[in-house]
Amino acid sequence: MKDLKHLYEFERLLEEANNDLVRKAQEEGKICIGTVCSLVPEVLLELPGVFTVRLRAPRTGSMDMGTYYMTSFLCEYSRALLERAIEGGYQFLDGLIAPDACSMINRAVENMELLNTMSKEKFFYRYMEIPMKADDNGLSVYVSECRSKILEPLHEIYGIDISEEALEQAVENHNKICRLLTEIGDFRKEENPRITGYEYHMLTLASYVCPKDMLTDMLEETLEELKAREPDDRKQFRARVVVAGSEIDDVDMIKLIEEAGALVVADRFCFGALPGREEIPLNQKEDVLTQVCRHYMYASQCARYMNREKIQGRRLYVNQLAEEYHADGIIYEQMKFCDYWAYERMVGTHVLREEYGYPVLSVDRPYAVGSSGQLRTRVQAFVESIEIKKLRKSRGGEK
Amino acid sequence: MGRKIGSERLGDLYRPGKKVRRRREWRGVKDTLYDYSRWLHTMGVLGKFMLNKNNVKAFFRYRWMLNYLAVPMMVDRHTAGLRGNQLRIAHTEYDLVVEDIAKLMANMFRADKNTGNDEEFSKKLVILDENEMSHLLCGFPNLIGVGREIPAVYVSVLLQQDAVCPYIDVAQEYGLSGDVCPMPEAEVGVSIDDDYPIFGACAIQCNTTCDGSLMGNGVIARRLEGEHGIPCFQLAAPIRHTEEGVQEYAAQEIRNAIKFIEDCTGETWDWDAYFACAKRFNAETRERMEWLDLSTTEYPQVIGANLALYTETVYMAIGGKVPAFLEADKKITRLDMLSLVSTKMISEDDPEQAIYDMAHLYENMIMRNRTHGGYKVLLDDLWRFCEQFHADMVILWEHMSCKALDGMHGLFEEQAREHGIRLIWAVHDLMDPRVVPRASLRQDVNRYMRSVLREEPLDPSLEEIDDAASW
Repeated sequence: MKDLKHLYEFERLLEEANNDLVRKAQEEGKICIGTVCSLVPEVLLELPGVFTVRLRAPRTGSMDMGTYYMTSFLCEYSRALLERAIEGGYQFLDGLIAPDACSMINRAVENMELLNTMSKEKFFYRYMEIPMKADDNGLSVYVSECRSKILEPLHEIYGIDISEEALEQAVENHNKICRLLTEIGDFRKEENPRITGYEYHMLTLASYVCPKDMLTDMLEETLEELKAREPDDRKQFRARVVVAGSEIDDVDMIKLIEEAGALVVADRFCFGALPGREEIPLNQKEDVLTQVCRHYMYASQCARYMNREKIQGRRLYVNQLAEEYHADGIIYEQMKFCDYWAYERMVGTHVLREEYGYPVLSVDRPYAVGSSGQLRTRVQAFVESIEIKKLRKSRGGEK
Repeated sequence: MGRKIGSERLGDLYRPGKKVRRRREWRGVKDTLYDYSRWLHTMGVLGKFMLNKNNVKAFFRYRWMLNYLAVPMMVDRHTAGLRGNQLRIAHTEYDLVVEDIAKLMANMFRADKNTGNDEEFSKKLVILDENEMSHLLCGFPNLIGVGREIPAVYVSVLLQQDAVCPYIDVAQEYGLSGDVCPMPEAEVGVSIDDDYPIFGACAIQCNTTCDGSLMGNGVIARRLEGEHGIPCFQLAAPIRHTEEGVQEYAAQEIRNAIKFIEDCTGETWDWDAYFACAKRFNAETRERMEWLDLSTTEYPQVIGANLALYTETVYMAIGGKVPAFLEADKKITRLDMLSLVSTKMISEDDPEQAIYDMAHLYENMIMRNRTHGGYKVLLDDLWRFCEQFHADMVILWEHMSCKALDGMHGLFEEQAREHGIRLIWAVHDLMDPRVVPRASLRQDVNRYMRSVLREEPLDPSLEEIDDAASW
């Protein structure tokens, strides 16, 4: 297929946390609030005059300082973020909001605070309580935390308008990007998709780390381009897979999977679109903040939610994605040392394999996979096993 | 210990490559006789326990039950070198702990489908998590809260160092990463291996200590609810527990949990019963505060390994329900970081406030109130306690994969230097001696004492012990 016109630009934006669009937005007077988790409703940080970036540590090399402060038992994402913060890589931020959702990310941000890694005069840290169950009680604390830890500091410190009208506008702007990404992502349902998982990952990833309104034009153009794009006659993949698991902001991860013969048709991981890039529906019956929180709480597929409905729902959701996107198999992945996904991956792998009948590859991985030969070999073997299963099935043998 | 303080070489009691000790320790006539009487008492509890056919069946059904043969050895190990009052305090505590665990297990096996299968009695039991506070049961005098993980995992590993290694292996063979905390990992392994007793009207699970613990509950609930039909409630205790904004959320979780128990058991919450427990719990807290005061003096009444286990039992598992513990409290003294949990007095007559008190206690569960809630309760409070108790050295137990503590490693070191506190990192693995053997743990401390403080051991025989195969 012909390269997407803006793909190089999206890739370039992902090379730095403080990328061109972030700098441009700040030059225009917008303030930039960092987050470290999908459980902080990003739409609340997209009010007029403010934008948000989900922190990454692109091109991570050494993590020596992060490891000194937090030991090698913490996940590399948290260590890489701390390392980058100590190096001064997040000095552009005007505030950082961290959910106390997983111990490791919370500690990473606390280390940033205690080590005085941010220098802006008005810079603020906030640590949020995030509900562990999706129910009415959870919603009440979510709403109050979002109000006191996100909206009020934005208003009190930076004078940001947090009115209902401003929130409605933020949701509408957010939804506009989500509609574009959803429409683009739907092409992955085609038998021979006109977009690869890697390309889609670049677009989605960029939407988490750039001011969204500055991406609109490029995404609209990309959508139009895709509508006319002809996929290669011969399929460039041998198996369609859903990738489900913990956060992936490494641009090489999906690329590696696809180079090994799979096509990633659904991205069910943090920094992915499912969920994360669906529209937030609003009604006139209750306040916007409550509706936003309810949406994030019920849509979230974070393994941290501990009530049984959510736990079972997570596996059901992966199954739904596999059906909807016609996947041949599922790759459950987790970053090493991630407690939440270690357990979720273990059970999810068994459930999806034994109860839903999918071939499942279960892997843990480092933060930056680079060109990991081990991971490549495992994906290649998985693709081959799917092919063999298909072959047997076509010959009327076992599934 | 050692000749300097009038004991023999305690390390010589160990037999390299063997499970049991060479012989009992000589403590002088009076203390040896007293110690022997308590050994007899422990054997008596065990003997009585074995007279029950349910318990005998359990020995053949559950792999972890074998560890309970080592109860007298555990008490011996934890009272080594003690004399006089300290020996008596330790035994007073252990007597109660042993009796309490025996009672807990007897209840379990009476109700267990695999052993006693007393269905009516089973309906009176409510399953609790291992590290969970038991105060929710204070208002249900006809119900009994039982933590299945306590005898299967937590106590087992105190009795025999490699007791839960098979369960850790089971969990990892099932696909769990080896880099999670081994404690919930072992608990999950027991569940996967179907080696928990099956009983109870319902279960109250809680996000007790860490992310791994929270996740382990999901796996256990899958078997409990999905396979055995025992309804599970997940009680979410807020993480930012020191903040005012989360208290109503925490209180509502308590109300919901009470309602869930009422629905599952047909029982009704009894405020009189709750407040009777609250009075005892407060009395225990008052005793503890006096002991903390004693420990701030130049003559701290701090004693050995029994400290943590006893405190956990009283604070968490008993929660004011058993008067015998209060009587014992009046005799004894104790202090360690694990014990520095809540000293807040709880209401003895106001039902609305009592809900918030219970929420507070669930938020301040053992192993949780320091590792969650932000760095202030971990870092800042540690230096405050050092000042309060005139401590000039801290031994930090760096448990394998304890992310909340490991995540502050560098700042502990930097701030200890700023505060002039000596810091020893003791890496340990509570559940798996294959990862960190006891010998390695001793080395961490010994190396510091020799190389930094230039100290010689009081009893050199304890410096290098071959106890890799012992209980």
